[in-house]
Amino acid sequence: MIAAARRDLEEILGSGAVLSDPLALRLYGRDASMLEGSCELVAIPSNREQVVACVRIARRRGLAVVPRGAGTGLAGGSTPLPGSLVIVTTRLQRILEIRPEDRLAWVEPGVLNLDLKRRLAPLGLTFAPDPASEASSTIGGNVATNAGGPHCLAYGVTANHIFAVELVLADGTVQSFGGEGPEAGGYDLRGVIIGSEGTVGVITAVCVRLTALPEAVQVLMLGFATVDDAAGVVSEVIAAGLTPAAIELMDRAIVRVVEDFAHAGYPVDAEAVVLIELDGLQGGVDRQRQAVEQIARSHGATVIQAASDPAHRARLWKGRKSAHGAITRIAPDFLQYDVVVPRTRLVEALAAVRVVARDEGLIIAHIVHAGDGNLHPLIMYDRRSPGALEHVLAAGERIVRACLEMGGSISGEHGIGLEKRDFMPLMFSAADLDLNDDVRAAFDPVRTMNPGKILSDVGRSHGPAAGHAAGAAPDEAGSWRR
Amino acid sequence: METLTPGSAAELVDLLRAASADGRRLLPVGGRTHLDRGNPTVVDAEVSVGRLSRVLSYDPAELVATVEAGMTCGELDAILAEHDQEWPVDADPAATIGGVVASGASSARRLRVGPVRDWILGIELATGEGRLIRGGAHTIKNVSGYDLPRLMVGSLGTLGVLTSLDLRLRPRPLARRTVIASGTVRQAAAVVAAVPLACGVLATPDSIEVRLEGWPEDVEVESRAVARLLGGTFVLDDVAFPSRQPWLDVAVTVEAAVVPSALVELTRLVSAPWGVLAGVGILWAGIASAGRPLDELRAAVSAFGGVAPVICGPGGLGQGGPRRGSGAWAIQERIKAAFDPVGIMAPGRFWDGS
Ligand SMILES: Cc1cc2nc3c(=O)[nH]c(=O)nc-3n(C[C@H](O)[C@H](O)[C@H](O)COP(=O)(O)OP(=O)(O)OC[C@H]3O[C@@H](n4cnc5c(N)ncnc54)[C@H](O)[C@@H]3O)c2cc1C
Repeated sequence: MIAAARRDLEEILGSGAVLSDPLALRLYGRDASMLEGSCELVAIPSNREQVVACVRIARRRGLAVVPRGAGTGLAGGSTPLPGSLVIVTTRLQRILEIRPEDRLAWVEPGVLNLDLKRRLAPLGLTFAPDPASEASSTIGGNVATNAGGPHCLAYGVTANHIFAVELVLADGTVQSFGGEGPEAGGYDLRGVIIGSEGTVGVITAVCVRLTALPEAVQVLMLGFATVDDAAGVVSEVIAAGLTPAAIELMDRAIVRVVEDFAHAGYPVDAEAVVLIELDGLQGGVDRQRQAVEQIARSHGATVIQAASDPAHRARLWKGRKSAHGAITRIAPDFLQYDVVVPRTRLVEALAAVRVVARDEGLIIAHIVHAGDGNLHPLIMYDRRSPGALEHVLAAGERIVRACLEMGGSISGEHGIGLEKRDFMPLMFSAADLDLNDDVRAAFDPVRTMNPGKILSDVGRSHGPAAGHAAGAAPDEAGSWRR
Repeated sequence: METLTPGSAAELVDLLRAASADGRRLLPVGGRTHLDRGNPTVVDAEVSVGRLSRVLSYDPAELVATVEAGMTCGELDAILAEHDQEWPVDADPAATIGGVVASGASSARRLRVGPVRDWILGIELATGEGRLIRGGAHTIKNVSGYDLPRLMVGSLGTLGVLTSLDLRLRPRPLARRTVIASGTVRQAAAVVAAVPLACGVLATPDSIEVRLEGWPEDVEVESRAVARLLGGTFVLDDVAFPSRQPWLDVAVTVEAAVVPSALVELTRLVSAPWGVLAGVGILWAGIASAGRPLDELRAAVSAFGGVAPVICGPGGLGQGGPRRGSGAWAIQERIKAAFDPVGIMAPGRFWDGS
């Protein structure tokens, strides 16, 4: 069956675009999360018609489909489960049109976020979502995960910037959702598709909304003697009615490694550093800068410094955005967690994580999209040391539970995928989950699109995923990389 | 017609279960301010959430409020104003929050504040079948499960009855100014491109109204920028935007949504009163009747790929949404069936009469 599927695929895509050797299968057997799975075949189509063909072949040959962009996902969304064909959309990489007068652009899903931004900048425009992975993640992946980023505080997440999405459904038909205008008819199914993590179809084109670049930008760097002081400032800035474009918090462990890497002049002896970006017109930026500085002083900031020029500003952001990469210098392995609390409860949330770290004997460092209450605890460990992973997973679950108790959410931007799937019942009732499953089944009644992601397939009434035909257990969840 | 007024979500659920069992058709109503949106529906009773009108939680420092669906926009606005905050949707003060969301009505300031769907974080809904479900979260950011809150926007009461909503709020801008000048639709588009602070640029047959909001010093600077672009201007502080909406005083008001670049040509095809939101792609047109002029306008709008529902008066939604029989249409049908399997919720009211 798999050999037959491979022949079918090779006929359409050519042999170079179909991978089945053990090394490739292993490579595509995971994403940037700590979860490993396995797949039978990998197809790398170059256009929509080829995607359609791949989906049809998968269906005919009883394989599940796992859509994949750049594989930078952190929740196991594109980690395949046995019995699947991975469809990689990175070769659909054309910017189809840019229409400044309508503030929109049509792009293929494989276009890298930063590449689109670079094309738009000379026009004074941008695509606002700015995940830290913007240099390597695809627009298709951003849409499928509803990606966020530092500037989502002021500009909103990916969902706020999408006019229309073209999708290849599980049955191989192509459908467009939404429109180029501000409103479209029918149910707003874009909302369901954005953040669907590949479970409703393969995205083959996206119409994105463009945003004007701000006239003036200022970045303030604040240093604090305690993490709580830093978190307190963040809450107060929001409560004071200021509207920064971004507020990011890093604790000492992170600051030290990124300073080595980015040479941005971070205060390495501070317990926490907060970056606050203000943008808009010069007058408002100046006024807000004064207000922020005053709040920072009253909370005992030890460093208050404004970026001296655009290059300095870029270095400050470079440090923040390279934090994940740089952290590997101090820990062989780390699990990057993604949870949310109400932003007024940041201090409490950070304290709760400290308790978990102490109890489990782990070092946990923090990068926080602080303005949105979106925490990214980095749980460090060494996978070779026996039992370490168990402590990490226990810590993760305890952090999730603590955030939920504060009225938070189990994921702010990385998604549910496999990693958080079994936490969904902590946040939602069985009725909620059933309805979610119905919504998913409305797109894919036979469950061939990325089965087992977001929602568990066990006990669902819509029949088993096609992937199961190829031998996967009904509730396969991948395995943690050891 | 009978109006049912459940006093709690639990009562509402019982009522919906019973109605689903009996095939009793229902139309959810709020402040009755947006009922003209949607195609005609024939129902056996109305369900009002007017008794569910409390604030469930509001922490100003968090900029999030959770309110019951029957709370009116006016009441909410008054509560938020005490803390210099707003839910930037700008609907009729008598409209309910649930009704505004279900009808998908957005602010005239949406150029900068965005559509209503960007201001809802979570929902609780009693589905037509009588399942009480939650979607979204109370937090600013959240990606757990499918985005059910967005699915509610513009669903016109055909999926169920909203019982409470988590709303994202924003600080009320310190300065709010409307700059009025004369000019064309094309000039209005130029203002959008050149004046980043503008949150609304409305062109009508005889004027351009530019809404500026933000820090007072910025509003000053931008007022001068508008004056440079448009010539003789006068300024009104703290007035409603738009300052006048004559298209609402005619028998039928259409709210067309198209790409912004289509507005110039569309305004040539309609007669006064009309107004367009430059940079957004909204055209409001007042027409004398729902006959030929409406059909012609709709034909022109659909040639630009847009939609042209009536928002006041008779005429319904017109063409739009997935083509009957298409895959997207089948998805829509299955979504409807998941929420309202018996089809008791506002039958006929939705796009294409479903
Ligand atoms: C260093 C680093 C920093 C990061 N920072 C952020 C951050 O700041 N904010 C944030 O939100 N995320 C962040 N991420 C996570 C990740 O980059 C995002 O989730 C990104 O949107 C994934 O894009 P991708 O192209 O890599 O998609 P993948 O990882 O390949 O896939 C992600 C999900 O999308 C689906 N998918 C991908 N392409 C398609 C398609 N064409 N059609 C249908 N479904 C598809 C997959 O099935 C999967 O479920 C970070 C990751 C790393 C490694």
